[in-house]
Amino acid sequence: MADALAKPESPVGEAHAAPKALVLWRPEAKTGLISWLTTVDHKRIGFMYGVAALFFFLVGGVEALLIRLQLAVPNNNFLTAQQYNEMFTMHATTMIFLAVMPLSAAFFNFIMPLQIGARDVAFPRLNAFSFWVFLAGAVILNIGWFIHDGAPNGGWFGYTPLTTRGFSPSHSIDMWVMGLQLLGVASIAASLNFIVTILNMRAPGMTMMRLPVFTWMTLVTAFLVVLAFPAITIALIELMMDRLFGTNFFEVSNGGMPVLWTHLFWVFGHPEVYILILPAMGIISEILPTFARKPLFGYPIVVFSGACIGFLGFGVWSHHMFTTGMGTVATAAFSMTTMAIAVPTGVKIFNWIGTLWNGHLTMRTPMRFALGFIWLFMIGGFSGVMHAAAPADAQQHNSYFVVAHFHYVLIGGSLFALLAGIHYWFPLMFGRRVSEGWGKLSFWIIFVGFNVTFFPMHFLGLNGMPRRTFTYDPNMGWNTGNLIATVGAFILGVGVAVYFTVMIYTFFKGERTGSDPWDARTLEWSLPVPVPEYNYRVIPTVHARDAWWYEKRNKDEVARARAAHAPGEASHGIHMPFQSIYPLVSAVGILIGSIGVSVIDADPGPGLIGPKLAVTLAGLAVFLVGVYLWALEGNEGYHVHPEEDHP
Amino acid sequence: MALFPLTSTFARRALAGFAALAVPLLSGCSWQSWLGLDGKQSTFQVEGPVARDQLQLFYITCYVTFAIFIIVGAILAYATLKFWAHSDADEHAEPPPQGHGNPLVEVGLIGAAVLALVVIAIPTLKGIWYTYDVPAESKADAYEVVATGYQWWFKFEYPKEQIAGAGPLTCANELVIPAGRPVRIALRSMDVMHSFWVPKLAGKVDMIPNRANFIWLKAEHPGYFWGQCAEFCGESHAVMRFRVVALGPQEFRDWVEHQAQPARSVAAAQGALSFAHVAAAPIRAYAPNEAGVSAAYETAPLDSWRARQLPNESEDPALIARGRALFSEKTCISCHTVRGVPGAMGITGPDLTHVGARSSIAGGLLENNSEQLRRWIHNPGAVKPGNKMWVTGYLVNNIHLASDEELALVAFLQSLK
Amino acid sequence: MSSTAAAATIDHHHDPSTATGIPNKKLLMWAFLASDCMFFGCLISTHLIYRLHPPPGVPAARDVFSIELTSFSTFILLMSSLMMALAVNAIQKGNLKSLRACLATTILFGAIFLGCQVYEFSHFVSEKHLTITSNILGTTFYTLTGTHGLHVLIGVIWLASMLAYSFTGRLTEKDSIDVESMGLYWHFVDIVWIVIFTVVYLLEYL
Repeated sequence: MADALAKPESPVGEAHAAPKALVLWRPEAKTGLISWLTTVDHKRIGFMYGVAALFFFLVGGVEALLIRLQLAVPNNNFLTAQQYNEMFTMHATTMIFLAVMPLSAAFFNFIMPLQIGARDVAFPRLNAFSFWVFLAGAVILNIGWFIHDGAPNGGWFGYTPLTTRGFSPSHSIDMWVMGLQLLGVASIAASLNFIVTILNMRAPGMTMMRLPVFTWMTLVTAFLVVLAFPAITIALIELMMDRLFGTNFFEVSNGGMPVLWTHLFWVFGHPEVYILILPAMGIISEILPTFARKPLFGYPIVVFSGACIGFLGFGVWSHHMFTTGMGTVATAAFSMTTMAIAVPTGVKIFNWIGTLWNGHLTMRTPMRFALGFIWLFMIGGFSGVMHAAAPADAQQHNSYFVVAHFHYVLIGGSLFALLAGIHYWFPLMFGRRVSEGWGKLSFWIIFVGFNVTFFPMHFLGLNGMPRRTFTYDPNMGWNTGNLIATVGAFILGVGVAVYFTVMIYTFFKGERTGSDPWDARTLEWSLPVPVPEYNYRVIPTVHARDAWWYEKRNKDEVARARAAHAPGEASHGIHMPFQSIYPLVSAVGILIGSIGVSVIDADPGPGLIGPKLAVTLAGLAVFLVGVYLWALEGNEGYHVHPEEDHP
Repeated sequence: MALFPLTSTFARRALAGFAALAVPLLSGCSWQSWLGLDGKQSTFQVEGPVARDQLQLFYITCYVTFAIFIIVGAILAYATLKFWAHSDADEHAEPPPQGHGNPLVEVGLIGAAVLALVVIAIPTLKGIWYTYDVPAESKADAYEVVATGYQWWFKFEYPKEQIAGAGPLTCANELVIPAGRPVRIALRSMDVMHSFWVPKLAGKVDMIPNRANFIWLKAEHPGYFWGQCAEFCGESHAVMRFRVVALGPQEFRDWVEHQAQPARSVAAAQGALSFAHVAAAPIRAYAPNEAGVSAAYETAPLDSWRARQLPNESEDPALIARGRALFSEKTCISCHTVRGVPGAMGITGPDLTHVGARSSIAGGLLENNSEQLRRWIHNPGAVKPGNKMWVTGYLVNNIHLASDEELALVAFLQSLK
Repeated sequence: MSSTAAAATIDHHHDPSTATGIPNKKLLMWAFLASDCMFFGCLISTHLIYRLHPPPGVPAARDVFSIELTSFSTFILLMSSLMMALAVNAIQKGNLKSLRACLATTILFGAIFLGCQVYEFSHFVSEKHLTITSNILGTTFYTLTGTHGLHVLIGVIWLASMLAYSFTGRLTEKDSIDVESMGLYWHFVDIVWIVIFTVVYLLEYL
C-alpha cells in the first residue's frame, strides 16, 4: 500500500525483469497546479500545510474578533445567541485542528526530515494523503457557514446529550463529527509516517540522543496523536451511531451516560493539549541555542521531560472534569498527577534559562518571540497549577479564568513558538529574511495586544463570569474587563495583520540570504537554499549532537567521512519517488463520502437508495479506486544525478 | 533648574497615585473593588465556608506561584539583559563556551519544584475532602434540597416540605435556603448537562443526566446571591441564571409555610367584571437582548426581595380574574403548575404558584415587574432564544396575545404572591 | 547491491537500509496496531462500563448469546491465523503455490467467521429481538463486534486482493514484507477477537 523510499541498493535489474506495475498515469510536472496536486515532496507538502494553517488561522482570528465585538459591551446585540455559539465552537475547533496542529505539521514535514539527514519521509504518498484528508476535514467543518444548517454550535468539546439528535437536530453537528473524524484520520496517518521516519530514516551516526530536540518533540507528539486520537474517534463514532441510527450510547432515556462522553473526549483532549504545546517547546529548544550560540542546557533532561510530559499527559484528563462529581479519591488522584506534570514543564523552563546563561544573545526577531514565549508560557503554566488545586478549580472551571489560562498557553505558548519558527526557518524555506525592524514591531504589537486581551480575563473569571456566554448584564461588574479585552483583541489583530503583511512582502521582495544566515547548529542549515528536491546530495554522517555546528568546526573529519561513501551513492544516483495523483483521489473519495454522511438529509429518495446513501457509496467507490490504483502503481522511483559542484 | 518643578510635580502625582493604590490595599477587602473584583458573582467576597475554603486555597496557589514567578522571572530577565549581545562585535565574537548543562543544578531545581508543589498539594487534599460533602459533625443539621436543570431554568424541590396531594414544595429559579445551616443540594438534569454555580457560596458542580451529583454549601448570614449555569447547555446558556436567598431560621420557616399554601386568589370575591374595555397601551419596543434589570432594585436586594413577598398595593381584581381565565384559555396550564388553579398541573415549565413573590423571571434573567413580565410573555423567543415556551408553546400552538390579554396575564401572575 | 549472491538470499529480519533495521512497512504496521489497540480499548471499555451500569430492563446477555457457535467461530479465526503464518513463511521462501493455498484457506476461514457473525446477528435480531437500538446491550454489543467484523472484512478483502495480485507475477520473495505486514494486521484482528470473546461472551458465563 505505502511506499518505502530511497533504497539505493534495490536491485535495478530485477525490477526490470518483473512485469511492469499497473501505472495509468505518471505525473511528471515539476511546476504548475498538477505538480502541487501530485507532489510527494515533504517540503512542498509542508508548505501546503503551512499555507492552509495560516489561512485558517486568519479565519479563526476573525471569529475571535467577532466574539470580542459581541462581548465588548453588556447586552450587546451584534451577534445572536446562535451565531455566537457557532463562533466560539468554530473558533476553538479551527484554531486547534485547522491552525495550530497543521502549522506544527508544516514544520514536522518541512524541517524534521532535514534535521535527521533524510531525503524524504518514510511514506511520501501517505504523507500527501494525510494532507489532502486534512483539507477534506477542514472543508467539511466549514461547509455549515454556507448552507442552511449553520456551522457547528455544540462547543469544540461537543458534550452529549446536547450534541445528540434530540437537542441538536440540524446537520451542523454531523459536519462537526465527520470533520473531526477526518482530521483524526489525517493526523494519525501523518503521525505514523513521522514515527517511522524518525526511527528509521536517520542518517548514519544520528543516534536517538543526537536528535535535535524539535525532532524529539515531533516523535513524542506523533506518539501522542497515535495513542490519543482513537479515543475521540470512538467517541465520535458512538455519537454518530446515535445520531444516524438511533443507538443508545448517550441516549439518556435508555440508560446512556453522558459522562462517558466527557471521559472519552478528555482522554483525547488532554493529550491534545500536549500535542499542541510539545512541538512549540521543540521549536523554542532549537531557537534559543542558535541565538545564544551555545548548546541547549541539559539536553537529556529536556528530552526526557518532553517524553515524561507526553506520558503523564495520559494520566491527567479528569482535571477537566473536577466538577463532574467524581468523588474525593479520583479528584485527589488527578489533582496530584496534574501537579506532577508541572515538574517536567518547569524543568524545561529552567533549562531554557540555563541555555541563555553565559550565551551571546543575538536578539533577532525569532529570539524575541522565543523569549516572549517563555514569559507567557510561564504565566499560563502558573495559572495551570492553580487549576490543579481541585477545590480552587471548582470556582475557576468554565469561567474566564480558564479562558485566560489556556490562551496564555496556546497563544503565548504554541502560537508564539510557531510564529518564532516561521521567522527562524523562513530563510531556509524561501531564501529570504524578514526585515528586523518590521519583525520586532509585529512582535511588540502582538505581545502587547495579547496581554491586554487576555490578562483581564483572569479577573473576569475570578469575578464570576462564565465562559461560552453570548451576553452578560451591565450590573455584574464585568464591563471594564470585557471592554479592555476587546480593545486588546483588536491590537492583537493589528499585530497579526502586520506580521502577515510583512511575511507576504518578504516572500516576494525580502532581503535574500545565503544558506545558514543565523550560524545555526542543526543539520538542516547545512543545505543550500533553496533546498533541492532530494535534500542531501550525499547523506550526511553525523558525529555529534548539534551536527552542523560540529561540522563547521571539524571540516576535515566530516569531509573524510563523506568522501568515504559518496562514490557509492554517486554511481547510481539519488532515488526519488514518483509523483502520484492517487493520494488526492483517495482523499476526494473520503470527502464525497463524508458529505454524504454528514450534509445530506436521510430522506428516502425515489429509487432503492436515497441520495444520502448514494453519495456515501459513490465516495466509497472513489476512495477504493484511489487506494487500489495507489497500491498497484507500486513504490517505484527514478534516479537523479545532481551536479557535483555543491559543497 | 527647569527640570526640578516638573520632576516634583511628577513625584507628587506619583505619590498621590501610590496613595490611591495603597489605601484600598491597606484597608482590607476593598482592594477587590479597586481591581473590580467585587461583582455580584465575585469569588473573593465569599459568604460561606465552602467558597471560603476554596478562596484560601486559591490564595495559597497564588502566593506560591507568584513567589516562583518573581524568582524565575528575575533570573530570566537578568540573563536576558546580562548576556545580550548589544554590538556587532559581540555578535561576531568567538562563541561562548559550549557547556552542556549541570546535573546538580538540574536535580536541585527539580527538587525545589517538587517542594513548592507539596506546599500546594497538602491544602488541596484537605480541601477536596472538606468541600466534597457536609462535614460529619453537622450532617444532622443539613437541610436538603433537590435542584434540577432544564434548558434554560432551574427547578428547586424541598423533599422535607411535602404538600398533601402535590408532592414536595417546588419552586423555580430562586432557591430559598436557611442561613447558618449547611444545605446539601442534590443536582439533577432532565435534558442536557448544566452546572450549578453560586460563586459567593461555593464552586460549581455539574448537573449531569443519569448521574446523582450533589453539592453542599452554607450561607453564613441572610443574603441574596447571584448564580448562573456554568456548563454550555445550548442556545440560551448565557441567560440561564438563578438566585439564592438565604433567610434566618424564623423567616425561612415562615417562607416555607407561605409557599406551601396554594396560589393566592384575588378575584374570587369579586362579582361582575368588565375587563373587555381595558385600554391597553402597546408594549414598548425592546431591542433583542436588552437588559431587564434595574440598579435600584439591587442596591439592597434582600430587602427588595422581602418587599416582593407582600401583595401589590393597587390590584385590579377584574383584570386578575381575566388573566386567571386566560391562563387556562391560552394553554399555559399544560406546562405550568399553579396550585389552586384547576387544571394547572403542567410540569414542563416552572411552577408558578408563587411567581409574584420572586424577584426575577425568565430564569433569573429579568427583574420581576409588570413591564418585564409583559415583555417576556409578549415574545419569549426574543428574550430567551430557543426557549421551550416559545418554540414548542407559542409557535406550535399558535398562541397570540392581544395587548389587553398580556396586561391581564401580567396582573394575574403578579398577584401570585 | 551488485553481487547476485547477495540478492538471492534476502534477510527477512533485518533491513540494512533503515536506522533500526526494522523494515519501514513493518514499523508502520506496528505503530498503527498500537493505535488500533487504543481504538478497541475504548470500545471495549464502553461495553464494560455499560455492563457495570445497566439501566433497568436490559436483558441478561447470557439469555441472548449462544456460546457454542461463537466458540466455533473463534476457533476458526485462530486457525486462520495459523494459515496466515504459513502464508508468510511461504512467500519468504518464494513458494508462490504454497502462498496461494495458505492465503485461500485464510480467506475461507475469515469468510466462515464473518458468516457466523452474520448468522449470529440475524439470529439475535429475529429470534431474541435484540437490535442495535433496542437497548444499551444491543448498542454496545453490535457496535463492538460489528467494528471487529469490519476489521475482519477489510482483512479478507486485503487477503483476496493479495491472492489475486499473486497471479500477476509481480509478487516475489522480495515483496514478502507486504504479506508479512498484512499478516501482522490479521494476527492483531485475531488477538482482539480473543479479548472480545473473553470480555463480551465468556464473562457472561462466569
